[in-house]
Amino acid sequence: MSEATPEAEPRKLAEEARDRVRFEEEALELADQVYRVARRLVSTREEAEDLMQETYARAFRSWRSYQPGTNLRAWLLRILTNLNIDRGRRIQRSPDQQPLEEGDYFLYNKLEEAGDSDEERVDRRLSQDDAVAALSEVPHDFRDVIVLVDIGDFSYADAAQILDIPIGTVMSRLHRGRRILKKELAERTVGSSV
Amino acid sequence: MIGFDPDPCAKCEELLQPYLDRELSDAERAEAERHLDGCSYCRKRYRFEEQLRRFVRQAAVEEMSPDLKSKLAALRTPLV
Repeated sequence: MSEATPEAEPRKLAEEARDRVRFEEEALELADQVYRVARRLVSTREEAEDLMQETYARAFRSWRSYQPGTNLRAWLLRILTNLNIDRGRRIQRSPDQQPLEEGDYFLYNKLEEAGDSDEERVDRRLSQDDAVAALSEVPHDFRDVIVLVDIGDFSYADAAQILDIPIGTVMSRLHRGRRILKKELAERTVGSSV
Repeated sequence: MIGFDPDPCAKCEELLQPYLDRELSDAERAEAERHLDGCSYCRKRYRFEEQLRRFVRQAAVEEMSPDLKSKLAALRTPLV
């Protein structure tokens, strides 16, 4: 039979408070990185800011379900992507399965045809606004994985866990999404003849 | 073992994305690099893709406002 000493309960409460404070501090330290991903998962800054606040409010409420030592950034982004879907901000649609004729060399080939073949100077040929606009045109299902892998620096496995989809789906969406992105970029840089 | 015939550049194009994501097996990576060593057509396109990813990533980064930072910090559980 265990005997609870009068000091045990306050000690337990103090330890839990300390763990919670540590969790909240670590989560806040990651906010910049989480925001960079959030910003490109939604269309506007306002939406991204709302989503961040909802995410952190939920994370702080559910901190006990986080397992210390696991990837906290991925845990936060899993909450964020679920909230993004739950709030109905995304128009859910089946991934576009139409065959894409454009391959991975498509954009380079278009630029080369247009007379610009310096592969080192991407910044001379594309504007930042074009890049952001092209990314926003990629359908959500594909854009989510591009944003997680290319902007969030997550592995295929992490992206699969965050989005709760098989790793093979991450790979196929990434593959197709990047091709769509390049097609969008080509339309903006080479013109409507693409 | 992956076959690069009959169209080695088409095969190399297929491997572009997993190559840059570092998700190829050692054998596939070595095979792609063997082809890239001897093919300036593919080498230029790989180099372009690498630069393009960096460019899109930099273009897409938007920093969080100090105001949002304060709002997030305010969500912390008050210490009793």
